Amino acid sequence: MISIDSTAMKTNNFDLANLSQNDTALEIRNLDLRYGDKQALFNVSMKIPKMQVTAFIGPSGCGKSTLLRCINRMNDLVDNCHIDGEILLHGQNIYDKKIDVAALRRNVGMVFQRPNPFPKSIYENVVYGLRLQGINNRRELDEAAERSLRGAAIWDEVKDRLHDNAFGLSGGQQQRLVIARAIAIEPEVLLLDEPTSALDPISTLTIEELITELKTKYTVVIVTHNMQQAARVSDQTAFMYMGELVEYADTNTIFTTPKKRKTEDYITGRYG
Amino acid sequence: MGKWVKSGSPWIWMTGGAVSISLIAVLGLLLLIAWRGLSYFWPATIYQWELEDNTGARSTLIGEIYDREEVPTERLTAAGHVFKQPPGEFVTRYLVKTGNREFVGLDFRWILATDIISRSEPADVAMLERAKNGNFYGYPVAVIENGKRLELKNDALESSLMEHIDRAVALSDKALSLQKQDIGAINYKIEKLRLKERRYELDGELTDSRKQELAAAKVALEQDYKLLEKELFALRDEAARDSVIVRDMRGVEVELKLDSVLDVTYVNHLGLMGKIGKWFVGLGRFVSDDPREANTEGGVFPAIFGTVFMVLLMAIIVTPFGVIAAIYLHEYAKKGPITKMIRIAVINLAGVPSIVYGVFGLGFFVYMMGGSIDQLFYAEALPSPTFGSPGVIWSALTLAILTLPVVIVSTEEGLSRIPSAVRQGSLALGATKAETLWRIVIPMASPAIMTGLILAVARAAGEVAPLMLVGVVKLAPTLPLDLNFPFVHLERKFMHLGFHIYDVGFQSPNVEAARPLVYATSFLLVTVIVALNLTAISVRNHLREKYRSLEH
Repeated sequence: MISIDSTAMKTNNFDLANLSQNDTALEIRNLDLRYGDKQALFNVSMKIPKMQVTAFIGPSGCGKSTLLRCINRMNDLVDNCHIDGEILLHGQNIYDKKIDVAALRRNVGMVFQRPNPFPKSIYENVVYGLRLQGINNRRELDEAAERSLRGAAIWDEVKDRLHDNAFGLSGGQQQRLVIARAIAIEPEVLLLDEPTSALDPISTLTIEELITELKTKYTVVIVTHNMQQAARVSDQTAFMYMGELVEYADTNTIFTTPKKRKTEDYITGRYG
Repeated sequence: MGKWVKSGSPWIWMTGGAVSISLIAVLGLLLLIAWRGLSYFWPATIYQWELEDNTGARSTLIGEIYDREEVPTERLTAAGHVFKQPPGEFVTRYLVKTGNREFVGLDFRWILATDIISRSEPADVAMLERAKNGNFYGYPVAVIENGKRLELKNDALESSLMEHIDRAVALSDKALSLQKQDIGAINYKIEKLRLKERRYELDGELTDSRKQELAAAKVALEQDYKLLEKELFALRDEAARDSVIVRDMRGVEVELKLDSVLDVTYVNHLGLMGKIGKWFVGLGRFVSDDPREANTEGGVFPAIFGTVFMVLLMAIIVTPFGVIAAIYLHEYAKKGPITKMIRIAVINLAGVPSIVYGVFGLGFFVYMMGGSIDQLFYAEALPSPTFGSPGVIWSALTLAILTLPVVIVSTEEGLSRIPSAVRQGSLALGATKAETLWRIVIPMASPAIMTGLILAVARAAGEVAPLMLVGVVKLAPTLPLDLNFPFVHLERKFMHLGFHIYDVGFQSPNVEAARPLVYATSFLLVTVIVALNLTAISVRNHLREKYRSLEH
């Protein structure tokens, strides 16, 4: 057992298997995913609770990022990607033919492994999503920019250089800028794909603090390599192995009394 | 030795040597063209030779040395030349530009060093540049103002002559601009009236009232024309009022009307600064004047204008087409054998000989498209074609097709270099693919698009062969831009520096006179292309700075 300060552990009063409709942000049902002939996800089913941080952990190549990218249909961009099963958002299957993918992605924001600001000014980066929706009112944009940058805990650092190129920021600042960009369009769900793997420890800490704050407004799903991070920031943890969801429970349970042997082996560092 | 080979030094020497040879080749080419071209404008010393040929006949020759060569004596003797005293193994032979074309037949003459008795550089000999018949060399003797011979001392003669020439040149310029602009505009309007009448006639709407209206308008224009014509003739008469008397090398005094004299230079008493000044004046005139005398004299302004105008027009056409095609190929087309084949076909298009494009342009653009446009919109002008004959728009279109592959290939390359993380970032914010393209991808690919455009411009500006079929002419009477509505006349033929080089160098009646012009025009063409490229490169660098990202 790795040593984790038990006060940092999250306790949970949800029963994940029988989560009520009201408390569920997303429901994944029997999801299979194939890249050509190679199957990457096997029959994954889970319910992700609202206004909580849910972490996906597991060794490299276990399918945790793939699963995350299914939630806002980023896997559509991959050739030969075939998906069976359902993901329900507001009781509606997002893989339904009638779904507008762009509208879905406005509702389910995503932050990637490496910071990917656009080659524009900091301000234009943040309001990009709003401009896409046809909002061009200067005051509205200014307010949204300030709100999002404050929300991403970067306002104080950039408020004097909003119109400088975003590439002038450090890696950690860029990642928070990208988070600000994602929350500017006020999604319900925020997907974070290893958001700190390219950052130094101090930036990582800032982002982790930010994540705990974000869950007051958004449902957060985070993929991480770092078990301590999952323990620190998440309320629920899902352990995945070889494309299967092995165990899914509140973080406290997973890290203290895992039910499955594989989970225990992984979190005690026997492989992975 | 084996060690030396192993160390890799020979390889470094070989690669370094290849670079040096390329560098020497490029610099050598530029230096030769620049030196030969630019020295053409340097005022050459005028010599006077006293000659005595092998029969003992004496003569005087005035002119500039154009060229010199060493000829084997044997060859001259074999050709029937008899020397009074046997010279050495070689004899120097000079090529002298004597000017005075209307009196001596040939304005270039070879003289043998053995015939020369003496050579001098008389200070008061002058070169008169004329609008017709080339230069005149001789001693100005007197100025005749309005039929009266002015009594002038030597120094006063020079300044008085220059004064009178300036006056005549100013009047001639005025007459020329009157003829080109005002009279040209009236001719243009009269032609429009004729076309209007013809159109009414074709449509069956030529009523009597319209007929009268048109006739009245025509009469008014013709009256204007008569007035302007009178003014023009008055100006011309005024310019021809004075003349100068010049003693030429035969010792004969010749009277030259000042309306045909453009400038006089007393080369031999010009100092260095004076010569530099003359050099700049000559260069400036070359760049800004219209050509004279079958392009062998005067400037090349219409050719510079035509080249730049056509290339810009081509750039405007080829960029959107190439970019759109590249976006489809790279972003939307399914990756499969057909896309691959199309891509290979596009790349291979760049290898088709350019004259083939010319033939295609003539057959498709000029005859088919131009012919149809004439049938539909310019029926009143038929049978004389409007768009159905070679013109600047067809040249630009032909070259646009020729350079399309370059733009497509470099745009595609630019598109594939954009990190997918940035695209996904945009998509994840709810942008559609088209929105991502417009807002993120194309701006980021714009430096690559500019690279394609730079290559396209470099290729198009130097292309001559296809243009000879689709729009270039030896001498275009009007520029494709003027003050007559609609101001831009894309159907007009145009002049081009590349074709000008060919025309002056190989089609000219006076090859000796034209040779330095070939160098000067070549140098100018290179300069124009370099200038166009530098502009495009600075735009690209600006874009690169703007859209630079961490990855590259």
